[in-house]
Amino acid sequence: MRGYLSLFASALLLTSFATAKDEPKFKSIEIKHFPNAEGVELPPEFSDYLYAELKATLQKKKIAEQFVGEDEVVDAADAPRSAILEGSVLEYKKGSMVKESLIGFGAGARSLTAHVKLTRRSNNEAIVDKDIKVRAMARWDPKTLAKFLAGSIAGELKHSE
Amino acid sequence: MGTHYWLSQSFTLLLFAVAIASAGEPKPTPENTISIKIENEIKPQTFPRPIKFFVEKVIDRSGNPQPMLVLEERGGVFLDKQPTEVVQQALQDTLQKSGLLAGDRASADYLLTLYLFHFGLGSGLGGEYYGKVDLNVVVKEVASGKSQEVTALGTSVRGAAIRKKNILKNTQANISEALEAALRNFLRGTKLRDVIAPQDAKPSMPSEKTTSSLNLTLECSSGYHIYPS
Repeated sequence: MRGYLSLFASALLLTSFATAKDEPKFKSIEIKHFPNAEGVELPPEFSDYLYAELKATLQKKKIAEQFVGEDEVVDAADAPRSAILEGSVLEYKKGSMVKESLIGFGAGARSLTAHVKLTRRSNNEAIVDKDIKVRAMARWDPKTLAKFLAGSIAGELKHSE
Repeated sequence: MGTHYWLSQSFTLLLFAVAIASAGEPKPTPENTISIKIENEIKPQTFPRPIKFFVEKVIDRSGNPQPMLVLEERGGVFLDKQPTEVVQQALQDTLQKSGLLAGDRASADYLLTLYLFHFGLGSGLGGEYYGKVDLNVVVKEVASGKSQEVTALGTSVRGAAIRKKNILKNTQANISEALEAALRNFLRGTKLRDVIAPQDAKPSMPSEKTTSSLNLTLECSSGYHIYPS
């Protein structure tokens, strides 16, 4: 009987831990467009696609309860648990298919480096402030990098604080 | 005889080419037509004073020759209405539900003219598409006649689909969500707030006023101490 009770108690504890883990970290996150640094040549639709992909990935990973569009008002009561995600594309390398075919091992890959900053809305505290680099095969579409970057940012945000 | 023969041959070839080209062009049918509706209610921001909007017109500036054709591949996906009609209807419904829609032009405080720069799908990755609605709204204050522009963007990404049924479902969801996001972006945006409550009406910069009056007090008091009358 005692064994059953302890088993039930541990199951209950595990369930509560799992629920706590699944709970979104933020009430809301405002996602901003990532502008390109000088000299970065990406397709014109890349910025909007990255914005859309970021919103979709963060929603899928349940990082926040709601995602606020760029420059939307947020209730003052929600500000302490709200954050702003902004950044910029610092570097983009098209890669080389010749190098990729001849050398391999990641040589000649397409790559993108972005600076990502997540700040708390109430006090401007930087929760995440770092450069993230993503790579993809040179023959792949540059938008693959947007997908990979969104995935990396979601991972960073998930493990922040 | 020879010239006539070559002319008739060229004409037949031309007809054949036209027939092939038109066969590849998708036609709207009830099976490949989708209807765009906003699923969730959009709650606009609260304004400092009660105001009413009137949607004057929606103008298509996308430059798309076939605005109702949203996807050309796989037999095509069509909209049941013009994008301008869809946007006007969605905005009017949202304003109506929030009590912000004026009954007519004369009773409105602000007139809205919408310019639609993109409505439909943007190119995504491989078989994946993403919905994008890009608006530029000209907000005209009736009392002063002053106009200001407010931009709004909405996007949505759903996974890739292979079956035609899922392509239709994803396309409809993508565009509906993008439209909802764009309207929310407009109605809850700080840009609209700034247009409605202009800088001079805002109770801003109280700290600066306090600092300047503080400096003045200090100068006066120091002056009094150095040069007593």
